[in-house]
Amino acid sequence: MTCADVQRVLPELIDGAPDGALQTDFETHLKACSACSDLVSDLKLIASEARQLAATEEPASRVWVRIAAELRAEGLIHDQYSDQYSDQDSEPESGPTRPVLVPASPRRRWSAWWLAPVAAALLAAGSYVVSHQSTPQVAKQQAPTASVTSPTAATPAANAPSVPTPAPQQLAQQKSPKPINITGPAVGSLVEPEPSAEDQQFLSEVSTRAPSMRATYESQLRAVNADILETQAYVDRNPGDADARQHLMDAYQQKALLYQIALDRIQ
Amino acid sequence: MTDPKKAITEAEAIEQAKQGHEAAFEVLYHLHKRRVYSLCLRMVSNPAQAEDLAQEAFLQLFRKIGTFRGESAFSTWLHRMTVNVVLMQLRKKGLPVVSLEETLEADDEAPRKEFGTKDVKLTGSIDRLQLQRAIDRLPPGYKTVFVLHDVEGFEHNEIAQIVGCSIGNSKSQLHKARLKLRDYLKFMRAEKAKTG
Repeated sequence: MTCADVQRVLPELIDGAPDGALQTDFETHLKACSACSDLVSDLKLIASEARQLAATEEPASRVWVRIAAELRAEGLIHDQYSDQYSDQDSEPESGPTRPVLVPASPRRRWSAWWLAPVAAALLAAGSYVVSHQSTPQVAKQQAPTASVTSPTAATPAANAPSVPTPAPQQLAQQKSPKPINITGPAVGSLVEPEPSAEDQQFLSEVSTRAPSMRATYESQLRAVNADILETQAYVDRNPGDADARQHLMDAYQQKALLYQIALDRIQ
Repeated sequence: MTDPKKAITEAEAIEQAKQGHEAAFEVLYHLHKRRVYSLCLRMVSNPAQAEDLAQEAFLQLFRKIGTFRGESAFSTWLHRMTVNVVLMQLRKKGLPVVSLEETLEADDEAPRKEFGTKDVKLTGSIDRLQLQRAIDRLPPGYKTVFVLHDVEGFEHNEIAQIVGCSIGNSKSQLHKARLKLRDYLKFMRAEKAKTG
Protein backbone atom coordinates (compact mmCIF):
# COMPACT_ATOMS: atom_id res chain seq x y z
CA MET A 1 0.00 0.00 0.00
CA THR A 2 1.29 3.46 -0.93
CA CYS A 3 0.70 6.80 0.75
CA ALA A 4 -1.85 7.62 -1.96
CA ASP A 5 -3.65 4.38 -1.19
CA VAL A 6 -3.74 5.36 2.47
CA GLN A 7 -5.30 8.70 1.61
CA ARG A 8 -7.93 6.90 -0.41
CA VAL A 9 -8.94 4.33 2.18
CA LEU A 10 -8.45 6.47 5.25
CA PRO A 11 -12.08 7.65 5.55
CA GLU A 12 -13.15 4.01 5.73
CA LEU A 13 -10.44 2.68 7.96
CA ILE A 14 -9.46 5.39 10.38
CA ASP A 15 -12.33 4.77 12.76
CA GLY A 16 -11.50 1.12 12.92
CA ALA A 17 -13.88 -0.42 10.41
CA PRO A 18 -12.35 -3.85 9.97
CA ASP A 19 -11.74 -4.81 6.41
CA GLY A 20 -9.55 -7.84 6.59
CA ALA A 21 -6.55 -7.69 4.34
CA LEU A 22 -7.01 -4.01 3.55
CA GLN A 23 -6.87 -3.14 7.21
CA THR A 24 -3.74 -5.21 7.63
CA ASP A 25 -2.04 -3.51 4.69
CA PHE A 26 -3.08 -0.17 6.06
CA GLU A 27 -1.57 -0.83 9.45
CA THR A 28 1.57 -2.24 7.95
CA HIS A 29 2.03 0.93 5.94
CA LEU A 30 1.52 3.10 8.98
CA LYS A 31 4.29 1.28 10.80
CA ALA A 32 6.66 2.03 7.94
CA CYS A 33 5.57 5.58 7.07
CA SER A 34 5.90 8.27 9.69
CA ALA A 35 4.05 10.87 7.60
CA CYS A 36 0.96 8.71 7.27
CA SER A 37 1.29 7.56 10.84
CA ASP A 38 1.41 11.17 12.06
CA LEU A 39 -1.58 12.03 9.92
CA VAL A 40 -3.63 9.19 11.32
CA SER A 41 -2.67 9.91 14.91
CA ASP A 42 -3.48 13.61 14.45
CA LEU A 43 -6.89 12.85 13.01
CA LYS A 44 -7.63 10.46 15.82
CA LEU A 45 -6.50 13.04 18.34
CA ILE A 46 -8.83 15.63 16.82
CA ALA A 47 -11.71 13.18 17.04
CA SER A 48 -11.02 12.32 20.65
CA GLU A 49 -10.54 15.94 21.70
CA ALA A 50 -13.73 16.94 19.92
CA ARG A 51 -15.71 14.59 22.12
CA GLN A 52 -14.63 16.70 25.09
CA LEU A 53 -16.48 19.67 23.63
CA ALA A 54 -19.92 18.17 24.16
CA ALA A 55 -21.92 19.85 26.88
CA THR A 56 -19.31 22.42 27.74
CA GLU A 57 -21.35 25.54 27.08
CA GLU A 58 -23.76 27.06 29.53
CA PRO A 59 -26.79 28.84 28.07
CA ALA A 60 -27.78 32.20 29.47
CA SER A 61 -30.35 32.12 32.22
CA ARG A 62 -32.80 33.97 30.01
CA VAL A 63 -33.29 30.83 27.94
CA TRP A 64 -35.18 29.09 30.71
CA VAL A 65 -37.08 32.28 31.48
CA ARG A 66 -38.32 32.35 27.92
CA ILE A 67 -39.11 28.66 27.83
CA ALA A 68 -41.06 28.83 31.06
CA ALA A 69 -43.00 31.83 29.84
CA GLU A 70 -43.87 30.06 26.60
CA LEU A 71 -44.92 26.91 28.40
CA ARG A 72 -47.08 28.97 30.70
CA ALA A 73 -48.59 30.87 27.80
CA GLU A 74 -49.41 27.60 26.06
CA GLY A 75 -50.97 26.18 29.19
CA LEU A 76 -48.46 23.35 29.47
CA ILE A 77 -47.50 24.40 32.95
CA HIS A 78 -50.21 24.03 35.49
CA ASP A 79 -50.25 26.02 38.65
CA GLN A 80 -49.39 23.10 40.87
CA TYR A 81 -46.21 23.92 42.59
CA SER A 82 -44.80 20.88 44.29
CA ASP A 83 -43.44 21.49 47.73
CA GLN A 84 -40.84 18.85 47.17
CA TYR A 85 -38.85 21.29 45.10
CA SER A 86 -39.15 24.22 47.37
CA ASP A 87 -36.19 23.80 49.62
CA GLN A 88 -33.35 22.83 47.35
CA ASP A 89 -31.85 26.19 46.58
CA SER A 90 -28.47 25.22 47.86
CA GLU A 91 -28.16 22.04 45.86
CA PRO A 92 -25.90 21.91 42.86
CA GLU A 93 -27.22 22.51 39.37
CA SER A 94 -26.05 19.28 37.90
CA GLY A 95 -27.49 15.97 38.80
CA PRO A 96 -31.03 14.97 39.26
CA THR A 97 -31.84 17.54 41.88
CA ARG A 98 -33.84 20.59 41.11
CA PRO A 99 -31.42 23.17 39.83
CA VAL A 100 -32.51 26.66 40.62
CA LEU A 101 -32.36 29.38 38.06
CA VAL A 102 -34.80 31.80 39.51
CA PRO A 103 -34.84 30.18 42.87
CA ALA A 104 -38.06 28.60 43.82
CA SER A 105 -39.50 29.48 47.14
CA PRO A 106 -42.48 28.16 48.94
CA ARG A 107 -45.60 29.93 47.86
CA ARG A 108 -46.02 33.01 49.91
CA ARG A 109 -48.78 35.51 49.80
CA TRP A 110 -46.92 38.66 49.09
CA SER A 111 -48.33 42.02 48.47
CA ALA A 112 -46.74 42.06 45.06
CA TRP A 113 -49.76 43.17 43.09
CA TRP A 114 -47.72 45.98 41.64
CA LEU A 115 -45.57 43.63 39.61
CA ALA A 116 -48.36 42.92 37.17
CA PRO A 117 -48.83 46.48 35.98
CA VAL A 118 -45.08 46.93 35.89
CA ALA A 119 -44.73 43.95 33.61
CA ALA A 120 -47.58 45.12 31.43
CA ALA A 121 -46.18 48.60 31.27
CA LEU A 122 -42.83 47.22 30.25
CA LEU A 123 -44.45 45.52 27.32
CA ALA A 124 -46.34 48.67 26.47
CA ALA A 125 -43.14 50.65 26.66
CA GLY A 126 -41.37 48.19 24.44
CA SER A 127 -44.16 48.26 21.91
CA TYR A 128 -44.22 52.00 21.91
CA VAL A 129 -40.50 52.48 21.58
CA VAL A 130 -40.19 49.88 18.87
CA SER A 131 -43.15 51.12 16.89
CA HIS A 132 -41.87 54.68 16.98
CA GLN A 133 -38.29 54.02 15.97
CA SER A 134 -38.95 55.06 12.39
CA THR A 135 -39.07 58.64 13.61
CA PRO A 136 -36.68 58.59 16.51
CA GLN A 137 -35.90 62.27 16.54
CA VAL A 138 -39.53 63.28 16.65
CA ALA A 139 -40.20 60.71 19.30
CA LYS A 140 -37.37 61.98 21.41
CA GLN A 141 -38.56 65.53 21.15
CA GLN A 142 -42.06 64.59 22.11
CA ALA A 143 -41.16 62.09 24.72
CA PRO A 144 -41.14 63.17 28.29
CA THR A 145 -39.39 60.44 30.17
CA ALA A 146 -40.31 58.36 33.14
CA SER A 147 -44.01 58.69 33.46
CA VAL A 148 -43.77 57.10 36.82
CA THR A 149 -46.75 57.73 38.96
CA SER A 150 -47.67 56.72 42.39
CA PRO A 151 -50.33 54.18 42.98
CA THR A 152 -53.65 55.64 43.76
CA ALA A 153 -54.41 56.48 47.34
CA ALA A 154 -57.09 53.83 47.35
CA THR A 155 -54.65 51.03 46.73
CA PRO A 156 -54.41 48.55 49.53
CA ALA A 157 -50.66 48.50 49.82
CA ALA A 158 -49.59 51.92 50.85
CA ASN A 159 -45.95 50.97 50.82
CA ALA A 160 -46.02 49.51 47.35
CA PRO A 161 -43.52 50.94 44.93
CA SER A 162 -44.30 53.48 42.33
CA VAL A 163 -45.29 51.92 39.09
CA PRO A 164 -45.62 53.20 35.60
CA THR A 165 -48.99 54.49 34.60
CA PRO A 166 -51.35 51.56 34.91
CA ALA A 167 -51.19 49.18 32.08
CA PRO A 168 -54.70 49.21 30.61
CA GLN A 169 -54.46 52.70 29.26
CA GLN A 170 -50.93 52.26 28.13
CA LEU A 171 -51.69 49.02 26.44
CA ALA A 172 -54.77 50.35 24.77
CA GLN A 173 -53.07 53.50 23.64
CA GLN A 174 -49.85 52.50 22.07
CA LYS A 175 -50.06 55.65 20.01
CA SER A 176 -49.60 57.63 23.15
CA PRO A 177 -46.79 60.14 22.78
CA LYS A 178 -45.49 59.30 26.24
CA PRO A 179 -43.07 56.42 26.25
CA ILE A 180 -42.02 55.11 29.59
CA ASN A 181 -38.40 55.34 30.45
CA ILE A 182 -37.73 52.17 32.32
CA THR A 183 -34.00 52.00 32.22
CA GLY A 184 -33.04 55.35 33.59
CA PRO A 185 -29.87 56.43 31.87
CA ALA A 186 -29.79 58.37 28.69
CA VAL A 187 -30.38 56.41 25.55
CA GLY A 188 -27.24 55.98 23.56
CA SER A 189 -25.00 55.40 26.47
CA LEU A 190 -23.44 51.98 26.56
CA VAL A 191 -22.54 52.09 30.21
CA GLU A 192 -24.36 49.71 32.46
CA PRO A 193 -27.68 51.28 33.38
CA GLU A 194 -28.61 52.17 36.88
CA PRO A 195 -31.61 50.25 38.11
CA SER A 196 -34.81 52.17 37.75
CA ALA A 197 -36.96 53.03 40.73
CA GLU A 198 -39.18 50.05 39.94
CA ASP A 199 -36.21 47.73 39.72
CA GLN A 200 -34.85 48.95 43.03
CA GLN A 201 -38.18 48.56 44.71
CA PHE A 202 -38.61 45.14 43.22
CA LEU A 203 -35.18 44.01 44.39
CA SER A 204 -35.80 45.50 47.77
CA GLU A 205 -38.94 43.42 48.16
CA VAL A 206 -37.15 40.33 47.00
CA SER A 207 -34.36 40.99 49.50
CA THR A 208 -36.84 41.37 52.29
CA ARG A 209 -38.92 38.35 51.60
CA ALA A 210 -36.57 35.93 49.92
CA PRO A 211 -32.96 36.99 50.26
CA SER A 212 -31.71 33.92 48.44
CA MET A 213 -33.51 35.04 45.31
CA ARG A 214 -32.10 38.52 45.17
CA ALA A 215 -28.76 37.82 43.52
CA THR A 216 -30.36 35.91 40.69
CA TYR A 217 -33.01 38.50 39.99
CA GLU A 218 -30.53 41.33 40.30
CA SER A 219 -28.17 39.71 37.86
CA GLN A 220 -30.95 39.06 35.38
CA LEU A 221 -32.31 42.56 35.69
CA ARG A 222 -28.87 43.99 35.13
CA ALA A 223 -28.40 41.87 32.04
CA VAL A 224 -31.73 42.71 30.51
CA ASN A 225 -31.40 46.41 31.29
CA ALA A 226 -28.01 46.47 29.64
CA ASP A 227 -29.46 44.68 26.65
CA ILE A 228 -32.28 47.20 26.37
CA LEU A 229 -29.91 50.12 26.66
CA GLU A 230 -27.43 48.81 24.16
CA THR A 231 -30.08 47.81 21.67
CA GLN A 232 -31.85 51.13 22.08
CA ALA A 233 -28.63 52.92 21.27
CA TYR A 234 -28.15 50.78 18.20
CA VAL A 235 -31.72 51.33 17.06
CA ASP A 236 -31.25 55.08 17.46
CA ARG A 237 -28.29 54.89 15.17
CA ASN A 238 -30.02 52.52 12.76
CA PRO A 239 -33.73 53.32 12.87
CA GLY A 240 -34.41 51.34 9.72
CA ASP A 241 -33.05 48.08 11.08
CA ALA A 242 -36.10 45.89 11.58
CA ASP A 243 -34.11 43.13 13.24
CA ALA A 244 -32.73 45.52 15.79
CA ARG A 245 -36.20 46.86 16.57
CA GLN A 246 -37.43 43.33 17.02
CA HIS A 247 -34.52 42.61 19.31
CA LEU A 248 -35.40 45.67 21.33
CA MET A 249 -38.97 44.49 21.66
CA ASP A 250 -37.68 41.10 22.70
CA ALA A 251 -35.56 42.73 25.35
CA TYR A 252 -38.54 44.60 26.77
CA GLN A 253 -40.53 41.39 26.75
CA GLN A 254 -37.68 39.69 28.50
CA LYS A 255 -37.84 42.19 31.30
CA ALA A 256 -41.60 41.95 31.50
CA LEU A 257 -41.27 38.18 31.74
CA LEU A 258 -38.85 38.53 34.59
CA TYR A 259 -41.36 40.58 36.52
CA GLN A 260 -44.12 38.21 35.55
CA ILE A 261 -42.20 35.20 36.79
CA ALA A 262 -41.54 36.96 40.04
CA LEU A 263 -45.21 37.67 40.28
CA ASP A 264 -46.05 34.03 39.74
CA ARG A 265 -43.48 32.84 42.20
CA ILE A 266 -44.02 35.15 45.08
CA GLN A 267 -47.71 35.79 45.14
CA MET B 1 -44.61 9.74 51.89
CA THR B 2 -41.56 10.89 50.03
CA ASP B 3 -38.90 13.00 51.55
CA PRO B 4 -39.59 16.49 50.31
CA LYS B 5 -35.90 17.17 49.96
CA LYS B 6 -35.18 14.02 48.06
CA ALA B 7 -33.82 14.56 44.60
CA ILE B 8 -36.05 13.28 41.88
CA THR B 9 -34.89 11.14 39.03
CA GLU B 10 -35.20 12.04 35.40
CA ALA B 11 -37.99 9.50 35.02
CA GLU B 12 -39.92 11.09 37.88
CA ALA B 13 -39.38 14.51 36.39
CA ILE B 14 -40.71 13.30 33.06
CA GLU B 15 -43.84 11.92 34.68
CA GLN B 16 -44.41 15.11 36.63
CA ALA B 17 -43.77 17.24 33.57
CA LYS B 18 -46.49 15.31 31.81
CA GLN B 19 -48.80 16.56 34.53
CA GLY B 20 -47.69 20.13 33.95
CA HIS B 21 -45.44 20.71 36.93
CA GLU B 22 -43.19 23.62 36.18
CA ALA B 23 -40.47 22.44 38.51
CA ALA B 24 -40.28 19.15 36.67
CA PHE B 25 -39.83 20.94 33.36
CA GLU B 26 -37.11 22.97 34.99
CA VAL B 27 -35.35 19.89 36.26
CA LEU B 28 -35.34 18.41 32.78
CA TYR B 29 -34.14 21.66 31.32
CA HIS B 30 -31.23 21.94 33.69
CA LEU B 31 -30.26 18.33 33.25
CA HIS B 32 -29.89 18.74 29.50
CA LYS B 33 -29.35 22.43 28.86
CA ARG B 34 -25.59 22.23 28.43
CA ARG B 35 -25.71 19.40 25.97
CA VAL B 36 -28.47 20.98 23.92
CA TYR B 37 -27.03 24.48 23.93
CA SER B 38 -23.52 23.25 23.17
CA LEU B 39 -24.79 21.30 20.20
CA CYS B 40 -26.65 24.34 18.88
CA LEU B 41 -23.66 26.58 19.42
CA ARG B 42 -21.27 24.22 17.65
CA MET B 43 -23.59 23.99 14.70
CA VAL B 44 -24.36 27.67 14.20
CA SER B 45 -21.36 29.33 15.90
CA ASN B 46 -23.57 32.15 17.10
CA PRO B 47 -24.60 32.38 20.76
CA ALA B 48 -27.82 34.31 20.16
CA GLN B 49 -28.96 31.90 17.47
CA ALA B 50 -27.91 28.98 19.60
CA GLU B 51 -30.07 30.25 22.45
CA ASP B 52 -33.05 30.54 20.15
CA LEU B 53 -32.49 27.06 18.80
CA ALA B 54 -32.03 25.53 22.24
CA GLN B 55 -35.22 27.22 23.33
CA GLU B 56 -37.08 25.85 20.34
CA ALA B 57 -35.71 22.36 20.88
CA PHE B 58 -36.83 22.30 24.50
CA LEU B 59 -40.21 23.72 23.62
CA GLN B 60 -40.77 21.09 20.97
CA LEU B 61 -39.75 18.44 23.42
CA PHE B 62 -41.95 19.72 26.22
CA ARG B 63 -44.93 20.05 23.91
CA LYS B 64 -44.56 16.39 23.01
CA ILE B 65 -43.54 15.08 26.37
CA GLY B 66 -46.93 13.52 26.85
CA THR B 67 -46.14 11.13 24.02
CA PHE B 68 -42.84 10.01 25.49
CA ARG B 69 -43.16 6.36 26.40
CA GLY B 70 -39.61 5.68 27.43
CA GLU B 71 -38.76 3.22 24.69
CA SER B 72 -35.66 5.24 23.98
CA ALA B 73 -33.55 7.32 26.28
CA PHE B 74 -34.97 10.72 26.95
CA SER B 75 -31.62 12.32 26.16
CA THR B 76 -31.52 10.56 22.80
CA TRP B 77 -34.98 11.81 22.01
CA LEU B 78 -34.09 15.36 22.97
CA HIS B 79 -30.81 15.17 21.16
CA ARG B 80 -32.39 14.05 17.94
CA MET B 81 -35.00 16.74 18.24
CA THR B 82 -32.31 19.37 18.76
CA VAL B 83 -30.45 18.24 15.69
CA ASN B 84 -33.62 18.44 13.64
CA VAL B 85 -34.35 21.94 14.91
CA VAL B 86 -30.86 23.09 14.03
CA LEU B 87 -30.86 21.49 10.61
CA MET B 88 -34.24 22.98 9.86
CA GLN B 89 -32.86 26.38 10.71
CA LEU B 90 -29.81 25.85 8.52
CA ARG B 91 -32.04 24.83 5.64
CA LYS B 92 -34.23 27.86 6.13
CA LYS B 93 -31.17 30.03 5.87
CA GLY B 94 -30.10 28.24 2.71
CA LEU B 95 -27.00 26.79 4.31
CA PRO B 96 -26.03 23.29 3.23
CA VAL B 97 -26.39 20.74 5.98
CA VAL B 98 -24.18 18.50 3.97
CA SER B 99 -21.77 19.59 1.26
CA LEU B 100 -22.28 18.42 -2.25
CA GLU B 101 -19.41 16.22 -3.22
CA GLU B 102 -18.75 18.12 -6.43
CA THR B 103 -18.36 21.39 -4.57
CA LEU B 104 -15.89 20.06 -2.08
CA GLU B 105 -12.77 20.64 -4.06
CA ALA B 106 -13.81 24.08 -5.27
CA ASP B 107 -14.82 24.91 -1.75
CA ASP B 108 -11.63 23.56 -0.33
CA GLU B 109 -10.26 26.45 1.64
CA ALA B 110 -7.81 24.26 3.42
CA PRO B 111 -4.90 26.45 4.31
CA ARG B 112 -2.35 23.71 4.36
CA LYS B 113 -0.56 24.74 1.18
CA GLU B 114 -0.47 28.48 1.39
CA PHE B 115 0.44 28.64 5.02
CA GLY B 116 3.74 26.99 4.33
CA THR B 117 3.94 25.47 7.76
CA LYS B 118 6.03 22.49 8.46
CA ASP B 119 4.18 19.25 8.61
CA VAL B 120 4.53 19.02 12.34
CA LYS B 121 2.56 16.64 14.41
CA LEU B 122 -0.30 17.85 16.55
CA THR B 123 -0.30 14.91 18.84
CA GLY B 124 -0.73 15.55 22.50
CA SER B 125 -1.44 19.22 22.38
CA ILE B 126 -4.77 20.44 21.11
CA ASP B 127 -6.04 23.43 22.95
CA ARG B 128 -9.79 23.17 23.42
CA LEU B 129 -10.39 26.80 22.57
CA GLN B 130 -8.33 26.52 19.44
CA LEU B 131 -10.23 23.43 18.44
CA GLN B 132 -13.49 25.27 18.92
CA ARG B 133 -12.27 28.14 16.80
CA ALA B 134 -11.17 25.76 14.12
CA ILE B 135 -14.58 24.07 14.12
CA ASP B 136 -16.23 27.46 13.79
CA ARG B 137 -14.24 28.00 10.59
CA LEU B 138 -15.45 24.82 8.95
CA PRO B 139 -17.87 25.18 6.05
CA PRO B 140 -21.42 24.35 7.20
CA GLY B 141 -21.61 20.96 5.52
CA TYR B 142 -18.35 19.75 7.01
CA LYS B 143 -19.24 21.21 10.35
CA THR B 144 -22.56 19.40 10.52
CA VAL B 145 -21.07 15.98 9.98
CA PHE B 146 -18.06 16.61 12.19
CA VAL B 147 -20.13 17.93 15.09
CA LEU B 148 -22.66 15.14 14.83
CA HIS B 149 -20.05 12.39 14.63
CA ASP B 150 -17.00 13.49 16.57
CA VAL B 151 -18.56 15.82 19.12
CA GLU B 152 -21.99 14.34 19.62
CA GLY B 153 -21.24 10.71 18.93
CA PHE B 154 -23.75 9.89 16.21
CA GLU B 155 -22.92 6.97 13.95
CA HIS B 156 -22.59 7.44 10.21
CA ASN B 157 -25.81 5.58 9.51
CA GLU B 158 -27.64 7.92 11.89
CA ILE B 159 -26.06 10.99 10.31
CA ALA B 160 -26.94 9.77 6.86
CA GLN B 161 -30.54 9.40 7.97
CA ILE B 162 -30.65 12.74 9.74
CA VAL B 163 -29.08 14.90 7.08
CA GLY B 164 -30.20 12.93 4.07
CA CYS B 165 -26.96 11.74 2.55
CA SER B 166 -25.26 8.42 1.98
CA ILE B 167 -23.16 6.75 4.64
CA GLY B 168 -20.17 7.03 2.35
CA ASN B 169 -20.75 10.73 1.94
CA SER B 170 -20.91 11.14 5.68
CA LYS B 171 -17.60 9.33 6.11
CA SER B 172 -16.01 11.31 3.33
CA GLN B 173 -17.11 14.64 4.75
CA LEU B 174 -16.03 13.72 8.22
CA HIS B 175 -12.60 12.85 6.93
CA LYS B 176 -12.28 16.08 5.02
CA ALA B 177 -13.49 18.05 8.00
CA ARG B 178 -10.81 16.46 10.16
CA LEU B 179 -8.16 17.22 7.54
CA LYS B 180 -9.25 20.83 7.47
CA LEU B 181 -9.22 21.02 11.22
CA ARG B 182 -5.73 19.59 11.31
CA ASP B 183 -4.56 22.26 8.92
CA TYR B 184 -6.32 25.02 10.82
CA LEU B 185 -4.82 23.85 14.08
CA LYS B 186 -1.34 23.64 12.63
CA PHE B 187 -1.73 27.10 11.21
CA MET B 188 -2.89 28.44 14.56
CA ARG B 189 0.07 26.83 16.23
CA ALA B 190 2.45 28.35 13.69
CA GLU B 191 0.89 31.77 14.15
CA LYS B 192 1.14 31.48 17.89
CA ALA B 193 4.78 30.48 17.60
CA LYS B 194 5.48 33.50 15.41
CA THR B 195 3.82 35.96 17.77
CA GLY B 196 5.01 34.23 20.89
